[in-house]
Amino acid sequence: MPVEFALAARYLLGLGRRTHVATVTAISLVGLTLGVLALVVTLALLEGFQSTIRGELVRLSAHARVSAASGRLLGDPDGLARRLQESLGDATVEEVVTGSCLVAGPGGTVPARLVGRSDVEGVAADRVLAARLAVGPGDTVRVLSPRTRLTPLGPVPVRAGLEIGEVIPREPGAGEGGVLVAPLAVVQRILWGRPAVEALELRDPADPWHLAARVREALGDRRGSLRVEGIGDLHRPLFLALALERAMLFLAVGLMLVVAALNLLCNVAMVAAGKRRDLAVLSGLGMAPARVRRLFLGLGVMIGAAATALGAGLGAGLAMVLDRTGALPLPRGVFAVTAVPFRVQPVTVAVVMVFSLILATLAAWLPARTVARREPAEGLRYE
Amino acid sequence: MSDPMVRLEGVCKGYGEGERRVEVLRDLDMEIGRGEMVAVVGPSGVGKSTLLHLIGLLDRPDAGSIELDGVPVASLGPAERAALRNRLIGFVFQFHYLLDELDARDNVALPLRIGGRSRREARERAGALLERVGLSGRAHHYPDELSGGEQQRVAVARALAMGPGILLADEPTGNLDRESAEKVFSLIRELHLKEGLTSVIVTHNEGLASRCDRVVRLDPASTVTHV
Ligand SMILES: Nc1ncnc2c1ncn2[C@@H]1O[C@H](COP(=O)(O)OP(=O)(O)O)[C@@H](O)[C@H]1O
Ligand SMILES: [Mg+2]
Repeated sequence: MPVEFALAARYLLGLGRRTHVATVTAISLVGLTLGVLALVVTLALLEGFQSTIRGELVRLSAHARVSAASGRLLGDPDGLARRLQESLGDATVEEVVTGSCLVAGPGGTVPARLVGRSDVEGVAADRVLAARLAVGPGDTVRVLSPRTRLTPLGPVPVRAGLEIGEVIPREPGAGEGGVLVAPLAVVQRILWGRPAVEALELRDPADPWHLAARVREALGDRRGSLRVEGIGDLHRPLFLALALERAMLFLAVGLMLVVAALNLLCNVAMVAAGKRRDLAVLSGLGMAPARVRRLFLGLGVMIGAAATALGAGLGAGLAMVLDRTGALPLPRGVFAVTAVPFRVQPVTVAVVMVFSLILATLAAWLPARTVARREPAEGLRYE
Repeated sequence: MSDPMVRLEGVCKGYGEGERRVEVLRDLDMEIGRGEMVAVVGPSGVGKSTLLHLIGLLDRPDAGSIELDGVPVASLGPAERAALRNRLIGFVFQFHYLLDELDARDNVALPLRIGGRSRREARERAGALLERVGLSGRAHHYPDELSGGEQQRVAVARALAMGPGILLADEPTGNLDRESAEKVFSLIRELHLKEGLTSVIVTHNEGLASRCDRVVRLDPASTVTHV
């Protein structure tokens, strides 16, 4: 080990006599450690919540959607569905048609989105719609279509009575309005009066995030006339919000780390002032300015490395223990999970560690630079 | 003198700016021959330490040239000056200026470690040097566990660690009682002769000064101007 680092270590550990430097070091160390710990725990908390949201999304939403590029109905949906089903063996392919309608129940009449799917048997209202209409399983609602039918009395809207089979949870990030889901044939009759299909929805719980890419591949040359959206495209605003949330939180809690680094800067500068004469002596004995600078840089980097390792270790440990034990319970029914979830991601922890090390190095570099510039004689005046 | 170890020509050095400017050394010429032991005397504040700092490359003159061992030092960069200090110059100050965090042996080993020697080699040589200054039993004592005289002797050992050509001592006995002062001065004198050093000793003690080869008197009237 070069002598400047050996000396930096001596200064840090207070191995010799005076422990003044060691005290100052301990304070910086605690500050940085807490900063790193806070950042790791906060990001683990955020990731915990965000991954529950993503999990819900995977459970409730389609993983890929194929529709006509023109925005109109799909031509030959059955052929397309068969073809996709063949090439994507383990994915399910459903035909879907959607539209707006009015739904009337005991609670009143409200606009809703009507979704027809080939994989459902009964009729389901989502929580919001059921609450607005004041209906539950077994109740019948009346659906009013925008499509009209010509009668002797003139054109009248198509109506249907549907019995609610169940009330289902909502997809995360699904707008304001309620949703009514019914068998494909029923909805086709209400909205179009013929077997119209708007889109194919595909699901593959084994690999939901890459399904769209696989669909595109499977479509081959028919791709041009079709629009393929993945789970990220279908919920773009939600994912944007999640990314933004992560960035803002990193910034906000990262500021704590910056404050801790400024404290380290002060402390290194204090050590530099306290060791002014020693530095002049070292320089007088022939230590080149670059090595004097390295001594202080070493000081900062050693504190930074120790604090980073300590903070990351403690933070990750704390987050994992909180997650395992479910020590922070959540009210039932509001969230999909029963306790505050934490999720430690190695990549995130690595980013925090690099960030912290860079800050510590910068903090030490500033005073180190000024120290190394002095002529040694300046530090040798007899007080 | 044909080939002096130290040569100063027209050296000027002052401190401060404007109203508070103090010219300490003015147009100073000086030569010190190889193997010579020179005492520098003069009243306090006349510029003795300043002179030693300039010779020892701890500071730069405002004007004039300095040559050490035939090398003009003005053109050297900070790293080269540091390397030359390490190799060519040993310093002893009025206060021991040992590092509190290191024991006597590691303090003596410091110039060797800075010079790039391995820790083992440096410690071995440091141990031998401590023996030469009569402190082999104190190798593992820290500076604040040593008496003033012992501290100065460790400092002398440290100054000689790299086998320098020039020894500069700034009032090395200024803080010592008569007996310790005598011991330290004799040690310096003895090592000066044995190691073939060129030495410059600043001292207030006329008795010690007279035991050197030559006495240089810095005179406030001729060298110092207070503007
Ligand atoms: N860094 C400095 N800044 C301002 N004045 C200084 C500085 N170093 C020395 N001086 C002044 O220069 C003069 C000579 O100082 P010095 O060389 O230490 O004298 P001596 O060693 O002979 O007692 C003194 O008046 C001192 O106050
Ligand atoms: Mg002096």
